[in-house]
Amino acid sequence: MTRRIFFMFMSPSLFVMLMLMVFPLLTSVWLSMHFITFRNINEPVFVGLTNYVEVFADLKFWSAFTFTMTFIVIAVPMQIFTGFLVAVLLDQVSRRIRGVYIAAFLMPFIVVPVVGTLMVKQLFESGGLVAWAYREIVGSRFFLTEQSVKTLILLHSLWAGTPFSLIVFFAGLQTVPHELVEASMIDGATRLRQVRHIMIPHLRSLFVFIFLISIMDAYRVFDSVFVLTEQNPVYKAEVMMLYTFRTAMSVTRLGKANAMSVITVVMILVVLLPFLYRTYKEQIEER
Amino acid sequence: MKRIENRYVLAVIYTILTLYALFSVLPFFWTTLQSFKTPRQANSRVPLFIFEPTADNYTDLWLKAIPDDPVFVTLVLLAIFGLLTVIALNAKRFPVAPGYVYLAVLAIGFFVLLQIPTFVRIERFYNYFINTIIVTAGTICVSISIGCLAGYGLARYTGLAGVIILVVALGFRSLPGLSYILPYWWFGQHSGLYDTHILLIITLVAINQPFTIWMLRSFFMNIPKEIEESAMVDGANRLTAFISVIIPIMWPGIVSTALFTMLLAYSDFLLVRILTQSNWTLTVAISKYAGGEDPGHITLAAAAAVSAAVPIIIVVFIFQGQLVKGLTSGAVKG
Repeated sequence: MTRRIFFMFMSPSLFVMLMLMVFPLLTSVWLSMHFITFRNINEPVFVGLTNYVEVFADLKFWSAFTFTMTFIVIAVPMQIFTGFLVAVLLDQVSRRIRGVYIAAFLMPFIVVPVVGTLMVKQLFESGGLVAWAYREIVGSRFFLTEQSVKTLILLHSLWAGTPFSLIVFFAGLQTVPHELVEASMIDGATRLRQVRHIMIPHLRSLFVFIFLISIMDAYRVFDSVFVLTEQNPVYKAEVMMLYTFRTAMSVTRLGKANAMSVITVVMILVVLLPFLYRTYKEQIEER
Repeated sequence: MKRIENRYVLAVIYTILTLYALFSVLPFFWTTLQSFKTPRQANSRVPLFIFEPTADNYTDLWLKAIPDDPVFVTLVLLAIFGLLTVIALNAKRFPVAPGYVYLAVLAIGFFVLLQIPTFVRIERFYNYFINTIIVTAGTICVSISIGCLAGYGLARYTGLAGVIILVVALGFRSLPGLSYILPYWWFGQHSGLYDTHILLIITLVAINQPFTIWMLRSFFMNIPKEIEESAMVDGANRLTAFISVIIPIMWPGIVSTALFTMLLAYSDFLLVRILTQSNWTLTVAISKYAGGEDPGHITLAAAAAVSAAVPIIIVVFIFQGQLVKGLTSGAVKG
């Protein structure tokens, strides 16, 4: 295919991405250097880097940042560990029963995040199943507090985030070469050692891939936090995205919100660049 | 591979898997149960599992008033949609290409859905449902048509530009949606497109475009080059060869990608929440039921959640093969 024809095929998609991905990001940088609220939406005032200074001095920003980081550090390993464990166990089960389990495991993945969160929340409402069990066991009513909301957000992320890693690991396990496993059995290797010395090394690149995607997803978690905190800042369970959203929409400080969004983009790119570089190398070799 | 035969170990494995499966479906089970209760039953001290189910929550959610002859209306609607389903299932027996039959069925079905408010008094929830269909269908159409062209180009072109576009698109895909949505809001306010379907569709297309081209490209790569080359030897140019030879054998890949595009468009919350004021989709509409002290809101929220989940579960059930194939192909979520 010649270069000219390639760009002819590419042009509609490229146009959309340039207009609605590259250009907005540049606008975001421009907006972040202005003071804008609803009142002066048509004539933004240039304020230079003031918005950035304000963000870095903002205690709420740092509290949202800390919670986001805590969330990533706890939720991501939890999802990946559970996903891998269940995938390995599922691999041992006969083919006929697998389908039923997979259908059940995929349910939280298929359902819309907001709906899924609402459904999880139903368990904890007054009259909910888990709230009842909690009262029976602990003896006091289940209340939404800072602690319990944060736990709930983590629990929901385990429920909603695990299916993806589970299915990808399960697909990966099907590619582990049979001969290797059988040879190790003859040598008397136990199941656990097979997992440790054959499966995990074989799936190493898959682990990197899932870690990266899970970190990205955890970083931009929004829907579940939005629903579970009922948009109430009392719970101090705001993540970065939610705080940015509130700054833009409730406080209507569009400039400051864009400054936060630019900071987020820069932080993500730092994590992402090595991976993008690796993908670039891979693609260059493949062609 | 030889499996575990030790009975006790197997028992432990099955127990863990079953417990995890229960953990996965428990919220669905409980919410569905709650949605058929009266607020009083839903708030009872000990959870009720056996009770007299009521559909009040659903009628409250969808209808302003129950029509005079509910049985007749339901039967007529069921007959229409049943007939359409039968036609769609037997599409291959008609003298025209099956694609046109599907298209006609979808168009008629949508037209009937639009006509319902003329003879049944409908709550706003129904409008959100129609909005969702418009936005989702629009996004799929635009996204897949421009994505197919790009994915095909990327699969066949070996120059450096292709690789760079792919990697940069992957980078853009990884950024949080909010970074784009705040500027979109700004554009929307200035262009007067705020709160329109068009703005939602073009922005959803743009945000999902990197994912779409990656996924479609991986499907196009599996199609041998010789197929369109033989067509081009016969005198067709590349575009005709693409449309008449490649697209027909690409249908499974296109359906798979369309399914994921649908899931993404249907579940998008932040973008729709910020870019609309009243033209919400279901996802945004149901988040309104998240809080509140009124004891009735629990059952209503449950009914709303179930109502929003059912369409997606039906579609996924029909296309489950494509979903698993797409998931395991590894291109997903880029």
